[in-house]
Amino acid sequence: MKHKYASLHLLIIEDHLGDYILIEEYLKEEHKKIELSRAISYKQASEFLDSKIYDAVILDLSLPDSDDPFSLVKNIVSLAGKTPVIVLTGNSNKSFGVETLSLGISDYLYKDDLNSIQLSKSLDYSIERKRIENQLIESEKKYKSLFALSPLPMWVLDRVEFKFLNVNDATVQLYGYSREEFLNMYVSDIWNKEEPEMDKVIANKKDEFFKIKVTHSKKNGDKMFLEVRSNPIVFDGIPARVSLIHNITAQVQAEEALRLSEKRYKALVQDGSDLVMILDFEGNISYASPSVKSITGLEADIFLQNNFFYIIHQDDIAMVKDCILKLQKQKRVQIPSYRIKTTQNEWKWLETIITNLSEEPAVKGIVANSRDITQYVLQERALIESLSRYDIVAKATSDTITDYDVQNDIMTFNEGIKDMFGYAVVKKTKSGKWWWEKVHPEDKDRVKERTQEVYKNNKNQLQIEYRFRCADGTYKYVLDRSYLLRDDKGNPHRMIGSMQDLTEIHNYIQTIEKHNKRLREIAWTQSHLVRAPLARIMGIIDLLQHHRNIDNAYELIEHILTSARELDFIIRKISSKAERSTLKVK
Amino acid sequence: MLKVLIIDDDDIVLLVERKMLERCGISAEAKSFNSGITALQFLQNEGKNQDFLILLDINMPRMNGWEFLDKLQGIKLGSSIFVIMVTSSIDRYDKETAEKYQKIISFIEKPITMNNCSEIKSLPELKDYFTNEID
Repeated sequence: MKHKYASLHLLIIEDHLGDYILIEEYLKEEHKKIELSRAISYKQASEFLDSKIYDAVILDLSLPDSDDPFSLVKNIVSLAGKTPVIVLTGNSNKSFGVETLSLGISDYLYKDDLNSIQLSKSLDYSIERKRIENQLIESEKKYKSLFALSPLPMWVLDRVEFKFLNVNDATVQLYGYSREEFLNMYVSDIWNKEEPEMDKVIANKKDEFFKIKVTHSKKNGDKMFLEVRSNPIVFDGIPARVSLIHNITAQVQAEEALRLSEKRYKALVQDGSDLVMILDFEGNISYASPSVKSITGLEADIFLQNNFFYIIHQDDIAMVKDCILKLQKQKRVQIPSYRIKTTQNEWKWLETIITNLSEEPAVKGIVANSRDITQYVLQERALIESLSRYDIVAKATSDTITDYDVQNDIMTFNEGIKDMFGYAVVKKTKSGKWWWEKVHPEDKDRVKERTQEVYKNNKNQLQIEYRFRCADGTYKYVLDRSYLLRDDKGNPHRMIGSMQDLTEIHNYIQTIEKHNKRLREIAWTQSHLVRAPLARIMGIIDLLQHHRNIDNAYELIEHILTSARELDFIIRKISSKAERSTLKVK
Repeated sequence: MLKVLIIDDDDIVLLVERKMLERCGISAEAKSFNSGITALQFLQNEGKNQDFLILLDINMPRMNGWEFLDKLQGIKLGSSIFVIMVTSSIDRYDKETAEKYQKIISFIEKPITMNNCSEIKSLPELKDYFTNEID
């Protein structure tokens, strides 16, 4: 051990030359390679220690510039740092030598008992002990910086009250509490209030390692998901726990997002009403969503054993196969409505979108997305039937059928618009304005008023007569019977009407009215002109009859004759007039 | 006293009716007018404080019976005027029109007969005038 050091470099602090020579002698006896520096005062010693590092320092307590051996030792130990200090004392202050040990020196020797072996041995031990001590200090420092500078939050709690004994910087950063705040807090202060289990876990595993997932609250109230690993330790002589905190918030959130995404997927595909299948070009099915049961009546696993083409209607198979073959050229194809057979031997109408995902490793096939459109198809058929009925009626009638789309201002006509009014209407549609322009100016306000009444007053029927202009500029009398359809909100939607040509009837009525007028004239003439002379004759006769002895009877008889002639003339006139105005029935 | 006016464009009718009224005791002094216009003038000038019975023809030139009645509405006489339509018309429209005028108390188809005259005397509106006379 004594030759361990390649070269020993010592500082001897000794003002007495004789003593120094003696020490030098002893040292050189035992150490071949040795380098000595001598300081003769505290001042000089401190200069040396500042500028150079020694393997050891040998200090004599009696120095000219130092009265207080206590502070001398203290100062030299401090200056020496990692270098061991050996103190030499005279016999006079033996007890003091022992006391200096507590000041951090490595050894003390009595000058009077000094010999080379003793000195060498003390030197070796001191250097070795200091080295180990230094290592220990270094290692503790390392450990402390490991705790303090760890990027993972760590803390130390006492095992009784769970008070924070130490926290590292990462903890401070994560939670937002300062170190000082932490050291006055208990771990329960950062527990999320919704974590009632924590007490139990800590109580059950009081002196054991445990790992637990918890939620903690930051100073600002934010919640965090954490994984805590905790080990029992003894910290400064106190039973404690050191805990390592792993922030898994992002992970938990990502898991939650994934869970939701899966749930969504499930809701869309698994629980959706659409049938999703994966099949190959031959119709073999490798996947079918659970809705296959409601559409085909078959359980998914039984359905998979079937070939898809097997359940398709004979008349539709070729079309479906054609569509599937198109996938070789294009990515996506929509198969128009086709029929499949259910277990109830009913036919259902499907509409399917197929996508070729053969290259997709997760699919390796054709994805077919089918919707049950049976109800829709049946409704559509009923509608087509009703429409064709309407079409037939519209063609068969001699009326002009109008169909006015109120919201889009489009009017559609049947052939009548041409046959009845002479308009060659392209595509049989025109705007509402076009139609209104043809209504006779004298009738327009009345028709508009009545139409608005129907729109506003929740009525749906309108029957009105008006004149409508033909292509040649003449007007026709029409009887318009219209029916208003409303949308779900009750707003006017379509006005379906039929315009009946009343012109002939109207003309006929006019003719009849004219004749009636003439007949009235004849009646009036008869009443007044014919009966006037007749009444005169009757009156005179009555007078003569009742009063025979009338003075001027002859005059009265003359009057009878005059009146009779007048009557004759009038009757002849009426006869010829009636002949001229005889009504000829068509 | 009830003053009787006869309005008719036919002179023979006027003659016959005047004689009838005279003979059956309705009025010996019935006044004849061959147009409604002269009759209106007479009423305006001398019609005050006198009750009238007018036998009125409908069909007359220039002013017919209805026009006469319309004009008569505008004249205030402060006395009663009773009108009996006497017409050769057997047209029901004329009878319907007659109902619109309050002054018209009866409608007689020509010719007036002796029976018509006795009926006139017993009309509720006129009855009093003739009983007084008898008294």
